[in-house]
Amino acid sequence: MILQLKDLFKWVNSGGHRIFLLNDIDISINQGEFISIMGPSGSGKTTLLNVIGMLDDFNEGSYEFLEESVHKLKEKHRANLYKEYIGFVFQSYHLIDELTVYENIETPLLYKKYNSLERKAAVADMLDRFNIVGKKDLFPAQLSGGQQQLVGIARALISNPKLILADEPTGNLNSKQSTEIMDLFKELNNEGVTIIQVTHSEKNAAYGSRTINLLDGRIV
Amino acid sequence: MIRNYFKIAWRNLKQNKGYSLINIGGLAVGMALVILIGLWIHDEVTFNQNHENHDRIAQILVHKTANGKKRTRYTMPYPLGNELRNKYGDHFEYVVMSSFRNNNILSFGDKTISKKGSFMEPDALRMLSLDMIRGNWNGLINPNSVVISESTAKVFFGDNNPIGEFMTISNKLNVRVTGVYKDIPHNAELNDLKFIAPWDLYTLSYGWVKYARDNNIWDNTSYQLYVQTTEDTSMAMVSSKIKHTVYDNLPKYSKKGDPSELFLFPMKDWHLRSNWKGGVNTGGFIQYVWLFGIIGAFVLLLACINFMNLSTAQSQKRAKEVGIRKSVGSTKKQLINQFLSESFLVVFLAFILAIFLVILVTPTFNQLANKQIIFPYSSMSFWLVSAGFIIITSILAGSYPALYLSSFQPVKVLKGAFKTGNSASAFRKALVVVQFTVSIILVIGTLVVEKQIDHSKNRPIGYEQNGLVMIEKITEDYEGKYNAIRSELISSNAVVEMSESSSPLTEMYSSGGGFEWPGKSPDFIPNLITISIGHDYGKTIGWEIVKGRDFSREFSTDSTAFVFNEAAIKYMGIENPIGKIVRWNNEEHKIIGVVKDMLAESPFEPVKQAVYMIKYNNTNWINLKLNPKKSSSASLSIIESVLKKHAPYVPFKYQFVDTAFAKKFVAEERIRTLATIFAFFAIFISCLGLFGLASFMAEQRTKEIGIRKVVGASVFNLWKILSKDFVKLVMISCVIATPIAYYGMSNWLNNYEYQTNITWWIFALAIIGALVITLVTVSFQAIKAAIANPIKSLKTE
Repeated sequence: MILQLKDLFKWVNSGGHRIFLLNDIDISINQGEFISIMGPSGSGKTTLLNVIGMLDDFNEGSYEFLEESVHKLKEKHRANLYKEYIGFVFQSYHLIDELTVYENIETPLLYKKYNSLERKAAVADMLDRFNIVGKKDLFPAQLSGGQQQLVGIARALISNPKLILADEPTGNLNSKQSTEIMDLFKELNNEGVTIIQVTHSEKNAAYGSRTINLLDGRIV
Repeated sequence: MIRNYFKIAWRNLKQNKGYSLINIGGLAVGMALVILIGLWIHDEVTFNQNHENHDRIAQILVHKTANGKKRTRYTMPYPLGNELRNKYGDHFEYVVMSSFRNNNILSFGDKTISKKGSFMEPDALRMLSLDMIRGNWNGLINPNSVVISESTAKVFFGDNNPIGEFMTISNKLNVRVTGVYKDIPHNAELNDLKFIAPWDLYTLSYGWVKYARDNNIWDNTSYQLYVQTTEDTSMAMVSSKIKHTVYDNLPKYSKKGDPSELFLFPMKDWHLRSNWKGGVNTGGFIQYVWLFGIIGAFVLLLACINFMNLSTAQSQKRAKEVGIRKSVGSTKKQLINQFLSESFLVVFLAFILAIFLVILVTPTFNQLANKQIIFPYSSMSFWLVSAGFIIITSILAGSYPALYLSSFQPVKVLKGAFKTGNSASAFRKALVVVQFTVSIILVIGTLVVEKQIDHSKNRPIGYEQNGLVMIEKITEDYEGKYNAIRSELISSNAVVEMSESSSPLTEMYSSGGGFEWPGKSPDFIPNLITISIGHDYGKTIGWEIVKGRDFSREFSTDSTAFVFNEAAIKYMGIENPIGKIVRWNNEEHKIIGVVKDMLAESPFEPVKQAVYMIKYNNTNWINLKLNPKKSSSASLSIIESVLKKHAPYVPFKYQFVDTAFAKKFVAEERIRTLATIFAFFAIFISCLGLFGLASFMAEQRTKEIGIRKVVGASVFNLWKILSKDFVKLVMISCVIATPIAYYGMSNWLNNYEYQTNITWWIFALAIIGALVITLVTVSFQAIKAAIANPIKSLKTE
């Protein structure tokens, strides 16, 4: 088991009312699974993903990640944890505009105390693997959406994460690009990486081994 | 990691060229000013430190009390030197009597040049630790010797060895050169000491000095006294010991009023703390050292504020990057480091630019500030201080943006729900208010200084300065030739009148007591400026007789008559003065006239009480009224030839009275110039920041402006909306700045007895100026945003 959420609640207070963003969530996910989270807009998909990714906190309940109780950890410790094991892929890619393809992919390693030779080797590996060696000195603005998302995935993979969290990774792409990206995810999953994706598309969800449906913050 | 930080910082700078220019340029200007001020302050506080024992050297000064007023004087009686040596020798390494530093004629062969120098006791060389190029510190032991500065040697002897050559001082004292010393540097009180001759020579050659020595005269104070204390002595202790030495030795008839008090005035204070009021040291130039130091700090602060403002203003742009970095594993600390290295890069680039600026403007600055500052390329400590300065500035400018930017929540910024917080924009507003407050205070200060100078310059002088020339009689070569020279000059049409006087028109040399007059209260101890003149003085300078008449050759009794100025009549409280008799030194003097007060000393103080008397044998200055119908250069060459004829070995050196008078404003004018420069740059830097901020605001409100335009707002409406906020901020600054400036400048004006008042229009001018500058700065951006095509701006959203 890679992670487990138990009786998890997250809410905001608005005008005296408590609005539940996540309501009594119980999930456990095993290593090597490919999970798709689906649901209408505002159902809490992204919030759930952020909670799992430790970018967001929750109000009640427990969260175990690789035998560690995330809700009890200090921020620094938590940061170390996700730095080590989690990679993010975003709908709008979120590459740093001022950095080249090469430097964008390299960034996570900078925060993990790799020396420069190790970094070079790892980035070269990624560029090679995704066939973007020729683009390494370009800036994000010079790439197509699909290429940008490739870079985004390369960046997520560079530190060999156990878990990849993808928030509508193909939301901004055309269907051909979509298929390519999803095939890539499938391939990664076959290599043993656990993947959790948020998606609107049934077609994309079909790539997964299991689907979790959300409605108004609840699992249905 | 660091390399990566710098890389992204560099790309950010390159991408936002406008902001970078404002940031780096503004900081560079600020830093350049701070470096210049720092060099200036360093120069000021290291004054006199060229003398090895500067911390143990002192001049003996005296507090004298008369009519309840304590005054501090620099003049000492002849026997004091020996008295201190004999009685308190344990406390002094050296005791050195000295004449005043005066212009004297030096000659060698047929070369005659007037140079400033002193007659001093032989230990002077050792005490001042002069750097002897030739000869040694024993150079003054033989009374017929002279030690000259390197520049003096150069003028007379070129590259030849001057040792052993014979020179004459004042065309009558024959001396032999025994030493050459390196000129004393410009930042030392004694830097105009171009030769030193032996004290014994002085004593033997001048009758009145010899008389003082032979008769142990304690109540004639015409000399200066320097000492160097022994290593383990405190100056305060010595001061209290020697306090009454002069008073105790005075003859009975001179012991009036409270005893005078001697004390040691340490060399380190000579330059910066030379003001005395009521027997208390009231500082002096040190005020300006502090003032400029504070201004420098503020200017740097203004530049740092720009950096903070623009960085936080760009936060929306940077927020996404922060979010991404955090989501790929950056900690807050790492982000803080990143932003700090970014500010370090900016500060470092600004510093390099600042160094270039400083090197570029140093010559001009030296001219303005009357300094000889050299850029300290090879000074290790300068570079160390600079490194510290860069680090402190980086932290000062970068810490807020670093903390602010690094605290963004990745979830929020990446979702796009991020909006720059109110707190940040409030902070930015506060910073703008600080900037403008400082700028407005500086502007008001500059205007007040300007007004004070104008006020004093427009003061009635009391005589006619036009075409008035004065020549110092530095030798006795002119003695007995007055009438001949005068008639020759007048008949040559070069001058319309000539006269002599004991003091120049721009100074008051001597004062005296012992006056008695009808109605004087017995406790009143009077002291009046005494000026010896010739009959033609009044006509030469064009003084104004208020009552009675001028001196005249027709009345032989005028040789003992007095003319007072109005201040003196008021001081003495004599009603209907004309014809009254004043007793002075047991002689009777009739008052024949009263003249309008003439401004001779500080133009910032009231005119002192003065008495004018005829005394041809006590004059040091020749006053000439040039013929207005002739060009002054023609007249001067005639005067030169006439004077050369009568005194061939005296160099011709003259001063126009109006230029000499104008020099009295030099210190104040220098402060005005520097203050103006500082105020200008403070405003410049603040405006840079405002400009950057305005352009950012316009950019941020593009959508709002587009919508407003679509629904019908005019360019003027939009301009008003965009400018309003800034005008409000500047108004707040005005409200804060006005009382601070008023308080500060009232204090400054209290340094002057003759002072201008601070009027409302100074504040009005500063405020209107600030508003106009703000509007101009902001409008450029506001109008640009307002006239942009709304279709375009809405599409970008």
